[in-house]
Amino acid sequence: MRIVNPSFGLMPPEAEQISTRPVDWVHDPIVLFSNSKPNARELLEGVRDKLGEIRNVDDVGFVYKDSASQPAPAAIIDQVSGKYRVALLALGD
Amino acid sequence: MIATDTFRPLILAQAKARKVTPKLVVVKHPIGGLNATELSGRIDQAMEGLKEIIGS
Amino acid sequence: MQDDVEELEVLEIGDLDFDQWNEYAIEQGWSDGMPLLPPTETAVARFTAVSRGDNEPFPPISPRRVIPTLDSLAANAVMAGCRPEYFPVVLAALRGVLEPDYNLHGSLATTHPCAPVIMVNGPLRKQLEINCSSNCFGQGTRANATIGRALELILLNIGGAKPGIMDRSTQGSPAKFSFCFGENEEESPWEPYHVRRGFSASDSVVTVMSGEPPHNINDHASFSAEGILTTISQSIAQPGSNLMYGKGPFMLVLGPEHAATLKRDGLSIGDIQQEVFQRARVHVSRVSKENQREYAGADRFPENDYYTVCPGPEDIHVAVAGGPGKHSAYIPSFGGTAVCSVRVSQPA
Repeated sequence: MRIVNPSFGLMPPEAEQISTRPVDWVHDPIVLFSNSKPNARELLEGVRDKLGEIRNVDDVGFVYKDSASQPAPAAIIDQVSGKYRVALLALGD
Repeated sequence: MIATDTFRPLILAQAKARKVTPKLVVVKHPIGGLNATELSGRIDQAMEGLKEIIGS
Repeated sequence: MQDDVEELEVLEIGDLDFDQWNEYAIEQGWSDGMPLLPPTETAVARFTAVSRGDNEPFPPISPRRVIPTLDSLAANAVMAGCRPEYFPVVLAALRGVLEPDYNLHGSLATTHPCAPVIMVNGPLRKQLEINCSSNCFGQGTRANATIGRALELILLNIGGAKPGIMDRSTQGSPAKFSFCFGENEEESPWEPYHVRRGFSASDSVVTVMSGEPPHNINDHASFSAEGILTTISQSIAQPGSNLMYGKGPFMLVLGPEHAATLKRDGLSIGDIQQEVFQRARVHVSRVSKENQREYAGADRFPENDYYTVCPGPEDIHVAVAGGPGKHSAYIPSFGGTAVCSVRVSQPA
């Protein structure tokens, strides 16, 4: 029996190819990015406090999505990618 | 990326679809609904994982 | 298998009988748990022939982010048990959930038990015998059962929304098998829903929303608009609903008898939206302190001690469906989603 594969799909031509250079965790600017679920912010703030053991945390930024259920607005992503070398995301429930 | 163990498969599948390899720190599920004491355990767990990634 | 996008579009799977085929399909992860019809090349060709005029390309389907082909879409409609003539409706529903505001990725990855709710308006309802009347949300009608199922299978097999991996719903819901119905335009005292959204009455339109199964609203005793609106609004105002975040729309599907009473007492659709928006509010005493703090952290505060359940009256999507009886339903959305309507592209 010959069937059409119901899971067949084509990779989009613009599929991302992302390359990154190594991160300097002590000096590179870091942002903490919350998915806005309960306790995500508190978790990231706790991590920031502990990051103080290895780096200056005065320049560690914090951003969050407007809504836990919606994607982060492009403006926030652009802002983060332009300003920071590392985004530490909290994902989960 | 800090995620709970429950969401690890979703993140890995998403990363594969985007052809990226995320630096992933996995903590025990859940995060929401925890009190401050419980959450501090997750913060410690997240920091341990982060230190492994940082290499310090 | 579906993780490998280099796979073949046509597969030779040997001589399998119906049971063997189903065991094979389940093994591949293609099933929703129920038996599937085999998507043979011949069967698929009958479906694609119906939609050959629909040449608008599809964007990638989240979360797997691959672009479907007309054949692979048709294969899922075949497996779901659709008739070929249902296929344009399935494609319109897919285009609806692929609109960016629908937030397909979020609605599939969430722990909330949402599923695509499909409502059909226009002449195709009758041509395809889509149930708009008694038991329209339930079993017993091939079009309702299989159109919704086809979309779900497409999201599973092409989109990759595998339960427990990409689909993270805590409990899921029966709506994830299929949730498709038609508006009962013939018994609605108002203009059909799609006409109110700017389409022509002669258009056939598919409207989709990421929502929960219908929540029944029973009111046998009220004989006034005032009484029915009270019951409807208090049924909607629930502190455990995703609507409590105040971000999303919801559908209010009036049974024809409730609709007739509201119309008799002079209410327009706009009046109903306004009344329900004002009345369906949750008092702070019904909301936990922790949740109140959480909402406040997102700049969401009660108005005069009441939380609204949607951003505004226009986010209440009113339609009429069902048969005789004193029941209506509301369908809460996922929240971070929009109600999207798409005209069905019919073959020339």
